[in-house]
Amino acid sequence: MTTTKRKLYMELENCIGCRACLAACTQCGGHEERNRNYVYDVNPLVNRQTMPLMCLHCVDPACARSCPAQAIQIHETGAVLSALVEKCIGCQNCTIACPYGIPKFDEEENLMYKCDLCIDRTKDDIPPMCASVCPSHTLQWLSEDEINQKKQKHELDNDKWVTSLPHLEGDTHVTVNLPGILQGTTKLF
Amino acid sequence: MQRDKFFREEKNVKHPNEELVKTHCSYCGMQCGMNLRVNKLTNKIIGVEPRYDWPVTHGKMCPKGVTAYQQTNHDDRLLKPLIRDDASLKGTKEGFREASWEEAYDLIAEKFGELQEKYGKDSLSVFSGVSMTNEKCYLTGKFARVAMGTRYIDYNGRFCMSSAAGGFLRSFGVDRGSTLPWTDVHETDCLFIAGSNTAECHPTSMFRVWAVQDRGGYLIVADPRETPVARRADVHLDLRPGTDLALANGILNLLIQNGYADESFINQHTNGFEETKELVKDFTPEYTSMITGVAIEKIEKAAEIYGKAPNAIVMFARGIEQQHKGVDNVSAYTNMALITGKIGRPKAGVATFTGQGNGQGGREHGQKSDLLPGYQKITNPEAVERVSKVWGIEPEEMPKPGVSAYEMFELMDNKTIRGLYLLCSNPAVSAPNLNFVRGAMKKLDFMVCGDFFLSESAEYADVILPSVSWSEDEGTTTNLEGRIIKINKAQEPIGESKPDWQMQVELAERLGKGKHFSHLKTAKDVAEEFRLASKGGVADYYGATWDKIDEQDGVFWPCKDKEDKGTPHMFLDKKFYHPDGRAKICALPYRPAAEEPCEKYPLRLTTGRVVYHYLSGNQTRRIQFLNDMCPEPYVEVHPITAEKYGIKHDEKILLFTRRGKCNYKVKITEAIREDTVFVPYHFGGDDSINLLTIAALDPMSKMPEFKACAAQIEKLKSGKVL
Ligand code: SF4
Ligand code: SF4
Ligand code: SF4
Repeated sequence: MTTTKRKLYMELENCIGCRACLAACTQCGGHEERNRNYVYDVNPLVNRQTMPLMCLHCVDPACARSCPAQAIQIHETGAVLSALVEKCIGCQNCTIACPYGIPKFDEEENLMYKCDLCIDRTKDDIPPMCASVCPSHTLQWLSEDEINQKKQKHELDNDKWVTSLPHLEGDTHVTVNLPGILQGTTKLF
Repeated sequence: MQRDKFFREEKNVKHPNEELVKTHCSYCGMQCGMNLRVNKLTNKIIGVEPRYDWPVTHGKMCPKGVTAYQQTNHDDRLLKPLIRDDASLKGTKEGFREASWEEAYDLIAEKFGELQEKYGKDSLSVFSGVSMTNEKCYLTGKFARVAMGTRYIDYNGRFCMSSAAGGFLRSFGVDRGSTLPWTDVHETDCLFIAGSNTAECHPTSMFRVWAVQDRGGYLIVADPRETPVARRADVHLDLRPGTDLALANGILNLLIQNGYADESFINQHTNGFEETKELVKDFTPEYTSMITGVAIEKIEKAAEIYGKAPNAIVMFARGIEQQHKGVDNVSAYTNMALITGKIGRPKAGVATFTGQGNGQGGREHGQKSDLLPGYQKITNPEAVERVSKVWGIEPEEMPKPGVSAYEMFELMDNKTIRGLYLLCSNPAVSAPNLNFVRGAMKKLDFMVCGDFFLSESAEYADVILPSVSWSEDEGTTTNLEGRIIKINKAQEPIGESKPDWQMQVELAERLGKGKHFSHLKTAKDVAEEFRLASKGGVADYYGATWDKIDEQDGVFWPCKDKEDKGTPHMFLDKKFYHPDGRAKICALPYRPAAEEPCEKYPLRLTTGRVVYHYLSGNQTRRIQFLNDMCPEPYVEVHPITAEKYGIKHDEKILLFTRRGKCNYKVKITEAIREDTVFVPYHFGGDDSINLLTIAALDPMSKMPEFKACAAQIEKLKSGKVL
């Protein structure tokens, strides 16, 4: 068992579009059975490539910076939490500020809600629901060491490895590996 | 306990006043491990929590598994027996009234009695399914033969696993769906997957499939569509539906020509090589390419990779099996492993992706028209004697073999069969040529249906008996590996619903057969009798006690006695199950699909599943998340074909065959052959694609050809883009 604190890691090439991650997100305690993540058809009408779109839990999150009411808190683990019910004023700044369009808005409750990295699980290093169920290992809950190993294997100077995008939001707590993971693999025979 | 490299020790979240009950998913043959969350104050199932320590799936689930718990306390559950007095309303949901169990049992006993008195014992029939425990499957077989005394029992595995069963029996002499445990899959060097949309139908296999490629191994996929697993294949053999046998023969020929045949293995452990070699000579890459439509280079590359691979696993599913030559397809792909000797050792072998949750166990224990528990032939006098003893009947009383699932509808149509007890199945959606099948069900004099939701088939019943969901009873299932596992009870049955085995015991008492059934008071009682009945059979479960299953994380059959730990890998001693211990390499002449395209019907129609639905959709269409994701069927069409017909994405069109027609929305995708259209089969009423499919049956397995028939598209005048 790894004892180091783990992080969400994504390998987009693996995604099979099953949307178990969406179903699982509705199951997380405190999520009121609404999912906070997205899965997109990358090239509909052409092929079946899909990819999840998850909150990257930015180190300096635009959503929180844009919030005039300090409703979006950052947990000590780095998770960017959903808006605090008592503070959120429903202005929707955050939904516009986030470069990935992650925060969702509940019109009825006049309240923003977003991925909280399943904080009731991840605060105890229990994998988040989406990464627990993802059948294709697109979403995984890995230690820094494991992520570094992946990085070494896939780093090919071909822009396929992305851990942070300076021109977008700088450092994130989630690491993403864009399509192309097999490019560095040497065939067995 | 086997642990593989993906295993991690993880904690679970436990909310206050909650208990986690270890069990498995209710749906497909993966039988993913899961924990059901039970509120200890209300004693109700309220959610799901991953079961990280299940060695096959490590907590992973597809969206069906994640939401499976929502079936248990669903608003649509049947809570009381229902009776319909007005037979003219058959085929509709109308006219049912609630009744007591007493009244329902009395009516069934009376009607069954009348029919058998007038028309003989065999005027009754049982049509069952394998999405239920071994215990239920076993007792259903006994109930048909002992309590009802009819020869006519068969089950929905005829539409699912029967071709795999037939092919394995012929090739190996034994039908265990996988020759190796799933924990080997990611460690092989080449996966050759034919006719399996693995990513949608068995999603939790996918992390192992991708891991083969991550290690530098190869993935070869044969499928008319570029499915999500074919998308990343090293070679995608995009064959015409219904031409698998030619493809397999072509690859076999190349393997032999290019020196990949393992002569010492062939000589010592197989029969039939020479004639097969002769037969496949004709299947040159050119000829194979002509029949299958697959490029020559791809065929050559696939054969080269499979031939070279130190270890390889050939895997297949309904794509090759649901054809009128399904058994031949299975044996033909199995030939690849037999001539190269890539079998009978870890990381190399053959496997079918079992469709239904208990598709493996359910076909072994006596629901098939010609089988008794433990895969024993009902035509084998010794087996009849053994089982009769367990059942407390005279061997002469054992009914003779009946007929296959689809053939039962033919007998209903001609009034040979007049009464039906249907359970755990929804043939009004899942059978082929539905106009005929629905008509035959309507003709029945009396029909009983056991189910927990009012299915499209229940609409033809006179009496509906409310059964329980998988979470309200316990027992075992056998997953796609051949591993016997334990389903646990997480909640008491809701309303007045009962497990099917209990109904059968009580009904047997009404039918005057109590002495053979009344001792079965719990699911465990049934399990104990069932283990005994399977003893001595090929699928021997005698040693697979519930305790052992718990201790070992499941038991692979055969498991003959207390000491026997079971058999994760088959044929390690290179002994096959034919009397001479040799496997059979089969020489299989090519036959085209039963209905080839023609001028009037120029398209090839193939059918299959989507990840959000299970079988006839009776369960999954009621789960909101799943239904939101895929609320209606559609027809996949290649853009070039769409262009020809002048039809657009999302436009409603008419799709028809010689047997029926349906309106479907068009889904344009380049990920399908130009000559092929695809429709998922999970939908009822006028949306059922099985109104169009053909009932051409495999001569051995009696599997209908769901995967290939000739069809045509007509643009509708009103076909506005929605
Ligand atoms: S669960 Fe995994 S494979 Fe399925 S859609 Fe989500 S990311 Fe993709
Ligand atoms: S981490 Fe939790 S909250 Fe965030 S998307 Fe995954 S399941 Fe939803
Ligand atoms: S449907 Fe099959 S793959 Fe999906 S969770 Fe259930 S058993 Fe697993």
